Amino acid sequence: MIFQDFSYECPTNIQDAVAMLDEAGVRSCPIAGGTDLTIGLRNGWILVDRLVDLTRILELRTIQKANQVVRIGAAVTFTEIINNPMLRKDLPLLVKACEQVGCDQIRNLGTIGGNVANAAVCADSLPPLVCLGSVAVIQSPRGQTRIPISEFVTGPNQTCMPHGGLIESIEIPAQPAGVKGAFERIGRRKAMAIARLSLAALGSLGSDGRISRVHLVPGAAFPRFMRITPVEDLLIGKQPEEALFAAAGQAMADQFNQVSGNRWSAEWKLKAMAAITERALRQVFGGMNEN
Amino acid sequence: MKINFTLNGQPVTVDTPANVTLLTLLRDNLGMTGTKDGCEVGECGACSVILDGKVVNSCMMMAPQANGRKITTIEGILDRDGGPNDLQRAFVEHGAVQCGYCTPGMIMASEALLARTLTPTEEEARNAIAGNLCRCTGYQQIIEAIEDTAALRRKASITLKNSREVIQ
Amino acid sequence: MNRHTRHQFVGNPINNVDGFSKVMGKARYVGDMNLPGMLFTQVLRSPIPHGRIIKLDTAPALKILGVLAVVTSDDFVDHSLFGWPVKDSYALAYQKVRYVGDPIAAVAAETMQAARAGMQAIVLELEELPGVFDLRKALDVDAPFISANPEKGIPNLAETYIVHNGNPEEIIKACPVILDESYFFHHQEHAYLETEGVLAIPNDDGGVTVYSNDQSPFINRNNLCMMLGLPIQKVRVIQPPTGGSFGGKDDINYQNSAQVARLALITKRPVRITLTREESLIASYKREAMEIKINLGAEKDGTLRAAMAQITADSGAYPSETPLAAWRGTMHVAGAYRYDAVTVDTKVVYTNNSYSGAFRGFGNTEAAAAIEQAVDEIAERLNIDPVEFRLKNALRQGDRTMTGNIIKEEVGLTECIQWVRDQSDWKSKRAVYAQQKTEKEIRRGIGIGCYFHGSGLGGEGDDVATCTVKIENDYSVTISSGLTDYGQGSRTIHTLIAAESLGVQPERIQMLRPDTQTSIDSGPTVASRSTMISGNAMRVAGQNVSRMLTAVAAEVMHCKPEQVTRVGESFLGPDEEPLSFNQIVDHANKMGMPLSANGTWGMPKIEWHFDKGSGVPYFCYSYGAVVAEVEVDRRIGTTEVLGIWMAHDGGTIIFPQGARGQMLGGIAQGLGYALMEEMKYNQGYPQAINFDNLLIPTALDVPHMEGKFVETNFKEGPYGAKNLAEPMMIGITPAIANAIAQATGRRGRVVPITFEGTLLGHDLTPPAPIKDIRMVLGFKV
Repeated sequence: MIFQDFSYECPTNIQDAVAMLDEAGVRSCPIAGGTDLTIGLRNGWILVDRLVDLTRILELRTIQKANQVVRIGAAVTFTEIINNPMLRKDLPLLVKACEQVGCDQIRNLGTIGGNVANAAVCADSLPPLVCLGSVAVIQSPRGQTRIPISEFVTGPNQTCMPHGGLIESIEIPAQPAGVKGAFERIGRRKAMAIARLSLAALGSLGSDGRISRVHLVPGAAFPRFMRITPVEDLLIGKQPEEALFAAAGQAMADQFNQVSGNRWSAEWKLKAMAAITERALRQVFGGMNEN
Repeated sequence: MKINFTLNGQPVTVDTPANVTLLTLLRDNLGMTGTKDGCEVGECGACSVILDGKVVNSCMMMAPQANGRKITTIEGILDRDGGPNDLQRAFVEHGAVQCGYCTPGMIMASEALLARTLTPTEEEARNAIAGNLCRCTGYQQIIEAIEDTAALRRKASITLKNSREVIQ
Repeated sequence: MNRHTRHQFVGNPINNVDGFSKVMGKARYVGDMNLPGMLFTQVLRSPIPHGRIIKLDTAPALKILGVLAVVTSDDFVDHSLFGWPVKDSYALAYQKVRYVGDPIAAVAAETMQAARAGMQAIVLELEELPGVFDLRKALDVDAPFISANPEKGIPNLAETYIVHNGNPEEIIKACPVILDESYFFHHQEHAYLETEGVLAIPNDDGGVTVYSNDQSPFINRNNLCMMLGLPIQKVRVIQPPTGGSFGGKDDINYQNSAQVARLALITKRPVRITLTREESLIASYKREAMEIKINLGAEKDGTLRAAMAQITADSGAYPSETPLAAWRGTMHVAGAYRYDAVTVDTKVVYTNNSYSGAFRGFGNTEAAAAIEQAVDEIAERLNIDPVEFRLKNALRQGDRTMTGNIIKEEVGLTECIQWVRDQSDWKSKRAVYAQQKTEKEIRRGIGIGCYFHGSGLGGEGDDVATCTVKIENDYSVTISSGLTDYGQGSRTIHTLIAAESLGVQPERIQMLRPDTQTSIDSGPTVASRSTMISGNAMRVAGQNVSRMLTAVAAEVMHCKPEQVTRVGESFLGPDEEPLSFNQIVDHANKMGMPLSANGTWGMPKIEWHFDKGSGVPYFCYSYGAVVAEVEVDRRIGTTEVLGIWMAHDGGTIIFPQGARGQMLGGIAQGLGYALMEEMKYNQGYPQAINFDNLLIPTALDVPHMEGKFVETNFKEGPYGAKNLAEPMMIGITPAIANAIAQATGRRGRVVPITFEGTLLGHDLTPPAPIKDIRMVLGFKV
């Protein structure tokens, strides 16, 4: 039961939506899938006077690719992402993460924009999005701005969304040839389990068979979603091999320990973090030199 | 606010408060208590309904979001004569119903699966109902009921296809 | 599962009689019941684990628009004191709150919003008291005082039990191999998909009709009469279709029932309460946590000689049925094996964790899990295969159980163990997995768990039930039982038994809902009583009516009753002119003979001497074995269950589909208990308050399961049935624990077995969600 009163608006264009969200004296919140919002409204964590439904705005519902950029509308659902042939081919890393969100019911309603805006520590789309160098296209009273998602999410459930702003779309640069990805995720059961720890990885080898590119973005580990460059630096220019993966795994654990080592879950996450880093690297680089 | 949507094949106009979920609208305002309330936070699937062909948790949708959509509940999948359809019969025959509380949601999730494919693997079937918690059955007889119904419907569609070929 | 049966209906395939109404969404549960003028309820519950109520002013609530009544413990006889076997519970807290979620006041209003506003307007001042949260510390001399069983007079002690069978200490001292270990079991939440709910309707005569989704309508009725000060004729309790219970919907619903019944009587309006999932997880009782210490002695060849066990059971804030569960645990804690001597020492203590009570398995879930791990460990020390060890020591017909009583019935335990061993390919897997390299990250293991489980209440008390059978004028048959069906299929079982004993098609039979006005008090629906005791009573009732029919047939056919035979539904006499069932009924009506009868059946009298720790605890037992195969990721600590094989000896299977469902569902519940259901308390605060954190298995977490029923002969059960619903969740938990032990080479000895436990050797504790709990209970944060 929701114990607060609010109104419900369905703007059909971005300008109207922004105007509503920006209106002074009326606490307004955008709603797309509503899977996180309805719970917040029920539990009283989110207090509103008005919901602004974004799903009637066409630009927020489309998936396109143009000029080496994939653009996913903020109100596109996880199921739509998973079923899109172009995304399956071009961004398998993102698709793999979306496939592991909750269950069919959640994926059919939940949206990528909602996942990013809610910015939960365990959000599944965020590690791959940051790994892929994605950008959030924000519409606000100040107009349109593009913010890298790694900067947009500033902390647990926190973003630098300007007042009256909304996410219009997520833009993902097309990946160069030869790039391979991996997504590791640990949940307490096999479905309907939030990620207790995750890692999105991307990489490619140079013509010399050494690692030329590697992006590593853990989830449910650090306060923000970001590439862990000290670990990436360890790998660049090296031959991919088991001892290297193990060292990288340990280095990732060390990074985690420095930042979040005092959390209650740290003792377990440290070890698991090393394991999934090794495994992700093995998945990305493991078969490459054999080809 | 007034919303218009299709409910179990019939167009309906409902004056709904903005601050209720679709689940509340169905159960309390429309008196359709077949859809159940198990947790109110989208974790158990007891409130599952089919929205534009896809299974969703009605407790996670605000009622106004139903506007312009096509919604099917457990009350809407009965046979033409008002009795249980083939999937519902299969559930009973396979012992897939014990306390029955997860059953309406479970059946909706199963129907959504069978609308997608009539050749689900066991893994696909388990995936399709992974969002529907059951505390009584251990899921195995439910999977058997789904597989059985899939086979029946495959046969029926072959028969239909054959009869079409004959007619042509 | 196709099987050959010598009965007409019992044991043959039949659909669950309630199946169709449930699949069509037509079955009406309490939350589906709406009446004109119905009021809604919100309950003020304690946000702290232990406190004295300094001020409780409900007057401000009544000023809220829409609020019609508020009740506290003052509105009941004896401050709403109730409870059995220890009378120390309250429908609404009196003077003290003893756990987070303890109900303090109940508000009835026209809308939920008004009820909530009313609840929040109540002025409540609590003086927080220090609490006890560790069951091991509850009896410390300096432990804060919570309550005490007046018959014992020891602070924080609810009950004690012993088994005294010989002198194990001496024997163990002389044994070449001994084991001395401690096992811990956290609480478990029932997690039925339908939460607790009650609808109370005031009657014109000053009485009340209550629809409650509890398991024991007569106990509820008796409690209501006591708390409301009403005579039996004025209180009627009916059980509607219920969405699961597993033992969990008794005491909490007696509290709910009292609250809404009183509110209904005051407002003269129907009043309904349905708990939210958070309220259910926070306020309703759990399976007790337990610490079980086991000391075993064995010979080098694996013969078990003696056992000593100590059990400390966390009853939490109120006793509920935990003492009885602890007694059952006490009676089973040395396992289904032969011993020369066994002693057990059990203490049931109060803490300020949530109160504990009945949950499927009822103490044996923990007891079996402890002894099965212990037995596995001692087998390991002896380098004897775990299955061989169990086969060597397993009880057989004629043996004495750990409590010293002789088993008279056939025992299918050995057959169960052999079946799961062979089906799971135990021998080769066990050998292969023993060879896995230590460095391997992903390792597999296979483990076994066995159990025995006493049927019925046993030494808990008189175990009698009465059923009714009535043939109506329209040739249909109405039956009733005082026991309830909350999904386990007992309505179908009773229908089959009635059909068999009457000799009529099941389709003729309609079972009334359990209703204190029409059924006959048969005690609680627990301990798998509904098939054995109530089932037998139904058989007796059916046979009583069958004799009446035969007498009528004899009269009509001018022969002796002994000369009448049944062919299908028809009656055949010496002159070969068969009479149909309908014709016999018509004749009976003409003769003015009512075709109805009761049937009563009680467990043969047995006696357990609580003070001596000896006697006969149960009339008979059921048995079983489970093998689980797991894969453990040793870098992360996760466990996946790859396969499960289970065999159960429950005597004759009456409702095959239902029995299979109980087995598969029981396995899933035990699997969840073993691996993922962390219902833990941190300084008295529950760590999980909804299904996002209290995780039960999904369809992807339960593997394919193979099951078998070993149908031993058991004369005393209805058509030879013993019991099955409860015990079938018991074996899987230790089977998984033992399989993990092979995979990892280590033992955690704590259930549930978490990632952290497997990886680190100990659990980690998240901060208590105090703020979330306060918000959910309606307090300001």
